[in-house]
Amino acid sequence: MNILQQISDQIDLGDDEKVYELTTTAIEQKIPVKQILDEGLLQGMNIVGRKFKEHEIFLPEVLMAAKAMNAGMELVKPLLLSGNVPMKARVVIGTVRGDLHDIGKNLVGVMLKGAGFEIIDLGNDVTPERFIETAKAEGAQFIGMSALLTTTMPVMKEVVDRIRSENLEDKIRTLIGGAAVSKGYAEEIGATAYCYDGSNAIDYLNSVI
Amino acid sequence: MTSELIYNRIINFSINEMIPDRVVVYKSQGIKQEPKVSKKINDLYDHALSIFTQDVEPKGILKEISIPEFAEVFQGNGENEENTPVQHIFPLADSLALFAFTLGKTISDTISGLFSRKDFALAYMLDSIASASADKAAFMVEQKRDKSSKTLLYSPGYCGWHISGQQQLFKKLEPGQIGISLNDQFLMIPLKSISGVLITGKKEIHNFDHDFTFCAQCTTFSCIDRQEHVIN
Ligand code: B12
Repeated sequence: MNILQQISDQIDLGDDEKVYELTTTAIEQKIPVKQILDEGLLQGMNIVGRKFKEHEIFLPEVLMAAKAMNAGMELVKPLLLSGNVPMKARVVIGTVRGDLHDIGKNLVGVMLKGAGFEIIDLGNDVTPERFIETAKAEGAQFIGMSALLTTTMPVMKEVVDRIRSENLEDKIRTLIGGAAVSKGYAEEIGATAYCYDGSNAIDYLNSVI
Repeated sequence: MTSELIYNRIINFSINEMIPDRVVVYKSQGIKQEPKVSKKINDLYDHALSIFTQDVEPKGILKEISIPEFAEVFQGNGENEENTPVQHIFPLADSLALFAFTLGKTISDTISGLFSRKDFALAYMLDSIASASADKAAFMVEQKRDKSSKTLLYSPGYCGWHISGQQQLFKKLEPGQIGISLNDQFLMIPLKSISGVLITGKKEIHNFDHDFTFCAQCTTFSCIDRQEHVIN
């Protein structure tokens, strides 16, 4: 079996050690790094994503696959960067100031990474300044914010307002999620999109990039 | 719980009684039980549960409070919805007790650590076990109260009781004694903590229609299950 196919299969099985080994071999075999990414790592995650959508597997299995994908990505990422191979898009994510609920944001980050996006995770309790300054410094096209409390969701509006006042709307788009917010709230504050979970965020980002 | 509840006291919970039902945890992760759960997921659960039982430091605090005193606590910062179920229930209570519970800081640190080490599935399973366990604590104190009447926990952040109500509740209850603090957005630290008022009285007092203004936006519907349990 072709080595890229094997990488993809081992991602599906969630075996991080095998993916690490196989990716090392693929790099040694001088297979172009973009091909390892697309036909091995991302291909594996695509299969996992499809199975998840069809309820053949559940979130824990997706997360095991994501860990395996990560093991391969660790080897591939420096080569992608040094070869100037572009990633899909760069997304800064975080849980907003005052809020420490980060499990949902973490899951979304993992799933977006698995779908080939570059994620800069600022953690929790993130101020509007940090979101925007990081997005500017890193050239990120998206800011993803999470809030689980009604008391912390106004921070999202602060970020959206600042992006507008700095005329960055064409460069940085905003995605919001978490228990406190809704599609209606995204519209009300002028955020670009509301996503109810990681798969939904992947679909959204794939549709706009 | 080591003994029947006494008022104004710190409650130590045994670790075993804090273990949530596996089915509840799977349900919270959207894992279907039929036709059968994969071995991978069952093994993951067992692993997460072994970490949970090592790391969890369950503690509760309970303080009896009079109806007029609670009226003041419930008023909070004046941000409640105009009409709420709790305002109709508590004046009819036989007794009221403020309550807070935490699973401790270690479990949250472990979850974060697992995420940083890219053990995503284990981290998420442990998180879900901890959340279900914190929920179970509420159910347990409800059951342990006086058996001749019915007790339910009502919490700030639910059913029109604004989350800023945490501030007044904390002033009266002082859950700092069991290591819970409140940040300026009214979030309890450690994260896996719950709070509220235990309202004990005739079962009928807990019954209310679900036509308050905020019911339309509710996504949890937990009141329906709770009421069914108490009233039937
Ligand atoms: C489990 C839970 C708890 C657990 C622990 C919470 C935790 N995360 O650690 C326990 C039982 C401890 C708890 C306690 C409390 N809770 Co609580 N809790 C929940 C519940 C049921 C689920 C939260 C959760 O963990 N979900 C699982 C994760 C994976 O989902 P998620 O974070 O939503 O993330 C997903 C999506 O939202 C989305 N997403 C999230 N972020 C982002 C970001 C981006 C960019 C994108 C694209 C997508 C995205 O994708 C994620 C993956 O699918 C919610 C209600 C709900 N249905 O969401 C209430 C909820 C958050 N809790 C609430 C409240 C009020 C409380 C308490 C204050 C109650 C009390 N007085 O005791 C306490 C506060 C705890 C504290 N530390 O201060 C309220 C908050 C309402 C408000 N007014 O702000 C909620 C909304 C319930 C309600 N009333 O409707 N809670």
